[in-house]
Amino acid sequence: MGYLEGISISICINIVCVCGIAILTGYMGLFSMGHACFLCLGAYTSACLTKYLGVNYFLSLLAGGAVAAAGSVVIGIPTLRGKISGDCFTIATLGFGEAVRILMANIGTNLFGGATGLSGLEHFTNLKSSVVIAVIAIILTRNYARSQHGKIALAIRDYADASELLGVNIFHEKLKALMISAFFCGVGGGMMAHYYVYIVPNIFGNTMSNNLLTSVVLGGVASITGPATATGMLTAMPEAFRFLDNWRLSIYGLTLLIIMRVRPEGLFAYKEITAPFTALYRWIKAKALKPAAKA
Amino acid sequence: MAILEIKNLSVTFGGIKAVQNVTLSVDNGEFVGLIGPNGAGKTTVFNAVTGVIKPSGGEVVFDGQVLNGMRPDKIAHLGIARTFQNIRIYPKLTARENVEIGVASIPKYDTISAMLRLPHVRRWDKEVKEISEKYLGQIGLMEYKDVKAGSLPYGIQRKLEIARALATQPKLLFLDEPAAGMNTAEGLELVDFLKQVHEMTGITIILIEHHLEVVMNVCSRINVLNLGQLLFTGSPEEVQKNPEVIKAYLGERRK
Ligand SMILES: Nc1ncnc2c1ncn2[C@@H]1O[C@H](COP(=O)(O)OP(=O)(O)O)[C@@H](O)[C@H]1O
Ligand SMILES: [Mg+2]
Repeated sequence: MGYLEGISISICINIVCVCGIAILTGYMGLFSMGHACFLCLGAYTSACLTKYLGVNYFLSLLAGGAVAAAGSVVIGIPTLRGKISGDCFTIATLGFGEAVRILMANIGTNLFGGATGLSGLEHFTNLKSSVVIAVIAIILTRNYARSQHGKIALAIRDYADASELLGVNIFHEKLKALMISAFFCGVGGGMMAHYYVYIVPNIFGNTMSNNLLTSVVLGGVASITGPATATGMLTAMPEAFRFLDNWRLSIYGLTLLIIMRVRPEGLFAYKEITAPFTALYRWIKAKALKPAAKA
Repeated sequence: MAILEIKNLSVTFGGIKAVQNVTLSVDNGEFVGLIGPNGAGKTTVFNAVTGVIKPSGGEVVFDGQVLNGMRPDKIAHLGIARTFQNIRIYPKLTARENVEIGVASIPKYDTISAMLRLPHVRRWDKEVKEISEKYLGQIGLMEYKDVKAGSLPYGIQRKLEIARALATQPKLLFLDEPAAGMNTAEGLELVDFLKQVHEMTGITIILIEHHLEVVMNVCSRINVLNLGQLLFTGSPEEVQKNPEVIKAYLGERRK
């Protein structure tokens, strides 16, 4: 497998995760510092299903997403209710993320492999399916964002009290956004497991959570394709600047700093990059029409 | 018949008694004023009725139901809507989208249908859009429907907030100083507008204002609040003649 192909697959996996977090952070205005734990839950679920039960890869990804979404309810119910502030949610996710990672290293060792992790997974994740899943993730989350749910999320973000007095059930809407974000992270985790064919709890740590959050913040609020593009850039950039050696991380940091100073709401705030999707739509339509025309 | 009954309502913040033992009732279809100098506790009365803050004593009954301890969104669904002293429209949503939040505060479809954008989702979104435009048309804001609410002129934002509140189909509407920050001409235009809204919808309206002229003009009955207590209730003429009201307006410091 080529080097470029590897980076492309990583980008696709990150896009899947970031699309979900864009709903939670870019629309609902909730910041999570522990979303790597949902990748962790998804990765282990999906890996165990294919490894021990021979479940179909794509089904295992869905199951991974579902388990991650269910896990998010555990942290969502106590922290999103009532008048608890968003900061409290952020701190709680930080703790929850660590707790899940440590739990996975210590429970069911004969099943999950403890701190040494799970190995010998099949290499199911390829570029073609990853691209398709990433595009689907963008379309699904974009649909959600432009639905009434997405508008309500922005309303809650701007004035929670006023929204509640219009009849919005804030707790329900926040919980839905959290579950969606966890679901897509869970799917991404499953893809990751079958790409590295080996997972250990430690890769799902703070660094991963921070990178995901950085992509969303950099990509821009109230946008799906913005964060998706940003995560592509952030994944490729350290690779592209590899020749700079140790300087690359400083440059990475500096770039982020400058962008956030110039565009505090993110690069593509309130914008969607639609051109590739309309082109894709036309292409599919043309392909679908061709056989019909022949007949 | 009374639609809203406030019985012995008290609200305290730390040591401050913001509202003390206020009892008042509002009849169905009435247009009542709630006036008083700054800091009299007017906004706090609204906050207590709409469930934003918890009263320290007393009871609020709306349409036969006790509101104490109820969540604000539940109270909204019972038929109470309000605007805010400092405007709280959603600046990044368009005027129409602002109203859509009022029309459809609870989406009629689930998360998965929304992500798949199933036909019933499209149909319902379209319906909500049409209803919202109907409200904008009624209020005379149609020309601004696709403009981001944050970039609208101040007076239009005030009207939009009222349109959004009306879109929840309330039985009772609280307006908290809608003329604040307006000049006299704009204030008078707003008065006409409020009269129209009242005639058009027939809903009960409670208007907070500290400009006496505005309230005198539109309200059939006025409650005067001072230092957290209900000072007087009566017709605009009675209020104007009442020596205690005049004294309160000339200014008496909170002790
Ligand atoms: N959330 C709050 N916390 C503390 N004090 C408050 C709060 N809301 C209002 N107050 C106090 O209660 C009193 C009445 O305020 P308010 O109801 O806003 O007056 P009005 O609307 O009549 O101008 C004031 O002294 C104000 O400082
Ligand atoms: Mg006030």
